[in-house]
Amino acid sequence: VIGASNRRYAHIGDVIVAVIKEAVPNTPLERSEVIRAVIVRTRKELKRDNGMIIRYDDNAAVVIDQEGNPKGTRIFGAIARELRQLNFTKIVSLAPEVL
Amino acid sequence: MKKNSTMVYHSIYLEKKRLEIRMLKSVGHNFYTLFLSLFDQLVLGNCVLLVNLRRMRLEKCWFCSSTVYPGHGIQFVRNDAKIFRFCRSKCHKNFKMKRNPRKVKWTKAYRRLHGKDMTQDSTFEFERKRNRPERYDRNLAENTLKAIKKIDKIRSDRASDHIKNRLKTSKVQRQKEARKQLELGIHLVKAPLALAQDSSLCLPKIKVNVSQAQTEENQPMED
Repeated sequence: VIGASNRRYAHIGDVIVAVIKEAVPNTPLERSEVIRAVIVRTRKELKRDNGMIIRYDDNAAVVIDQEGNPKGTRIFGAIARELRQLNFTKIVSLAPEVL
Repeated sequence: MKKNSTMVYHSIYLEKKRLEIRMLKSVGHNFYTLFLSLFDQLVLGNCVLLVNLRRMRLEKCWFCSSTVYPGHGIQFVRNDAKIFRFCRSKCHKNFKMKRNPRKVKWTKAYRRLHGKDMTQDSTFEFERKRNRPERYDRNLAENTLKAIKKIDKIRSDRASDHIKNRLKTSKVQRQKEARKQLELGIHLVKAPLALAQDSSLCLPKIKVNVSQAQTEENQPMED
């Protein structure tokens, strides 16, 4: 997890360093490339200040570059609203649904 | 009369806040400014209390159809972005077990499907979800609050009547069965000799079998 020393687990909105295990053939990203990504959905519940608890069906992250802009052009699936507060505006605007 | 629950509860929240301010005033705090915007800021002495006036909406539990109040329950977002709200972990766990609420006896879905609870009534129309937020109007809010109470009462009265009517037929049946059982089992209540001796003790409908007559009849058969 970037920005936190030796943190065990990342949550929604954290930027992580990850390695690509599987890649679709004709994309700029290749297998075993080290990249940064921001987590957008987790199966672990996300707790909000108003008491709302949200759980997603899968764990998902969006590959980003150093500035925090997504490397891709499309995003699939719902995104947590927390990302807007963390200045990932491009991701939020590309998302089909923000929950 | 239209009803928008978010707007109404928003106004209740505002009223509550005003009450709090009045209370604080009486206690002796002086506060410099008070302005209501999206974030309610109360400046009390040196500290600033940021109160978030978020919209409040009462949802329905997907599994049992009870209301989910803010701060309760879990929302589950499926990959196709469909949201399932649950009121408590019981419903959540049943959902994870892939149970169909229409087959689980204690849910509203089952009860409505099997005619145990009222399904069609004009009072349900008042509670439909409206996506257009209403401009705040004090009169409207007041009237809506009064209406909510009345509509609630009417709806619950009608629902309990529905259930009473449903159970009415079984009462007649049960009485019939009880009467029959009393006839058959009268010897448990009163000794048969006592019944024979004192005919005022027996029930008006029951025939009293005189034991002497019976033995007379039996004797020739034994021979």
